[in-house]
Amino acid sequence: MTTMHETTHTSDNMSEDNLLEIKNLKTYYPIYGGFFKRVVGNVKAVDDISFAIKRGETMGLVGESGCGKSTAGRTILRLMKPTDGQIIFDGQDITKLSGSKLQQARRDFQMVFQDPYASLNPTQMVGNIIAEPILNYEKRNKKELKAYVKSLLLKVGLPEEAYYKYAHEFSGGQRQRIGIARTLALNPKLIVADEPVSALDVSVQSQVLNLLKSLQKEFGLTYLFIAHDLSVVKHMSDRIGVMYLGNLVEIAANKDLYQEPLHPYTQALISAIPEPNPMLRKERIVLKGDVPSPANPPTGCPFHTRCPVAMDICAERKPPLKEVRPGHFVACVLHE
Amino acid sequence: MTMNTTPVEEKPPVKGLSPWGMARKKFLKNKLAMISSFFLAAVIILSLLAPVLAPHISPIPDIEKVNISKMNITPNGEHLLGTDKSGRDVLTRLLYGGRVSLLVGFSATLIVIFLGTLVGSIAGFFGGRVDSLLMRFTDFVLNFPFLVFVIVLNTILHGKVDGLWVLIGLIGLLSWGGVARIVRSKILAEKENEYVLAAISIGCSPAKVIAKHLLPNVMSTIIVQATLLFAGLIIAESGLSYLGFGVPQKTPSWGNMLAFANEPDVLQGKPWMWMPPALAITFTILSINFIGEGLKDAMNPKSTR
Repeated sequence: MTTMHETTHTSDNMSEDNLLEIKNLKTYYPIYGGFFKRVVGNVKAVDDISFAIKRGETMGLVGESGCGKSTAGRTILRLMKPTDGQIIFDGQDITKLSGSKLQQARRDFQMVFQDPYASLNPTQMVGNIIAEPILNYEKRNKKELKAYVKSLLLKVGLPEEAYYKYAHEFSGGQRQRIGIARTLALNPKLIVADEPVSALDVSVQSQVLNLLKSLQKEFGLTYLFIAHDLSVVKHMSDRIGVMYLGNLVEIAANKDLYQEPLHPYTQALISAIPEPNPMLRKERIVLKGDVPSPANPPTGCPFHTRCPVAMDICAERKPPLKEVRPGHFVACVLHE
Repeated sequence: MTMNTTPVEEKPPVKGLSPWGMARKKFLKNKLAMISSFFLAAVIILSLLAPVLAPHISPIPDIEKVNISKMNITPNGEHLLGTDKSGRDVLTRLLYGGRVSLLVGFSATLIVIFLGTLVGSIAGFFGGRVDSLLMRFTDFVLNFPFLVFVIVLNTILHGKVDGLWVLIGLIGLLSWGGVARIVRSKILAEKENEYVLAAISIGCSPAKVIAKHLLPNVMSTIIVQATLLFAGLIIAESGLSYLGFGVPQKTPSWGNMLAFANEPDVLQGKPWMWMPPALAITFTILSINFIGEGLKDAMNPKSTR
């Protein structure tokens, strides 16, 4: 099962315009137990996912909490060690890099973090927070660097004076802007945004999202946009991947996914988006039960325990992610 | 600006106040801690100026020299605090003794804090095998019988090395376990914050993550620990010297001066010999502890005092 869906969609369009290619990525958290603290099991947070991101596009990754999307994002940036699989970034295999080589590679891929309150060092001045990534890679003239940092502050919509302040003096949205300025400082190729607005007030969310969008145009950025909010992902992404229990169950272009979801899980998710117009309201598909434990995932299709249209075969065989229409991949027995 | 984002709503004050700045402000408002700070500063200055201030100015060998003709003089105009059983001026020895006691306390604290922070932060940050190895070693050091070790080593090294520095080194090497544990637990909690992950992702080396991101955020704990240790180690020096295993006996230190009190006639009839060092120790320790408490309050963002 491991080789099947890799071949279905990454190998045929493996080309120059893929900035990032993920092949059969697995990230397991070991569970220690017993007197000698031996590994007695694994939490399969990311269990064999494959996809690619083209230069300049935004790939969204959705799924409910605990489905492994954050772990996937962190593993792709090598903030975590992958258990298995391959991460190819800009033609370079970064799966096995370590030490100073990994440190060097990091300058091209950066991350926007979820919690703007925890992701900025409270003892550092904002100017130093943003300048630090640059100083890690090159020596710069102090004056020049200061001017550059201030220009970044203006770019993310903060006043220049923010340079001399500390993180605690800003609101959540402002802090997230500081975090974004920090990721921009190195002019990276890829930015993984891990739920960048989920900790913010709704009124501030759209500001930050629009900022991310305009920065993408200006700097030609590629985003992997992780979120659990479907409307946020819809607003941001060109293509969307849906994750369930560590697996990618569907990948499709933004429009295709929202208009014609093929996987039963995606259908349920989309039916749960609140619709303001009462005339257009459709019936909600309510999933029964809870998400199974990723430490002990069900056999066969990971979704079969809650699937409204499950069949006997679903418990026996895990369907591969298959391209059923151009650019539309789904892992479901119904669409094989 | 080319983008369509609205500029930030609220304008924060012009000059930023760092967390340290806020702590300083709070500390300055704490009366008890401020009085204690002045007292401690006075003690330190008086001790440092001992060669100038001491009424019987003399190079160090003279302070240690026995003078039989002036034994057991009660306090008077010439000897403000009298003389001790060996005929040495108590006030002079008190001033010089402060130097030794504070030096031992301070140097040993530096060693303890350095070793404890080093071991604790490495263990906490890397975790796993490094952590368990270092912490087992820490347990091993913590379980060393301190007194026995000091007594034995001091006896072996007696006369070969300068006794004062042997004592400082010994106290330092044997006392860092507690600090290592505290720093480790603080780092363990602190490294869960996303800014640590952010630091790694912007290309900081592990050493830089520890030194620049983690340690500044646990520094308040370390500083409070250092203050309390400083007090504790002054007491340790006094205790050891009182027992006769600390600073070489001829060198004046508050503990050594107290040692006279183990003779009943001195304890009962000649209070000028032991009262001054006893009071000096008590008030110095008290003031250091008040400062420590003040720092703890000032650096805790949740306390409202």
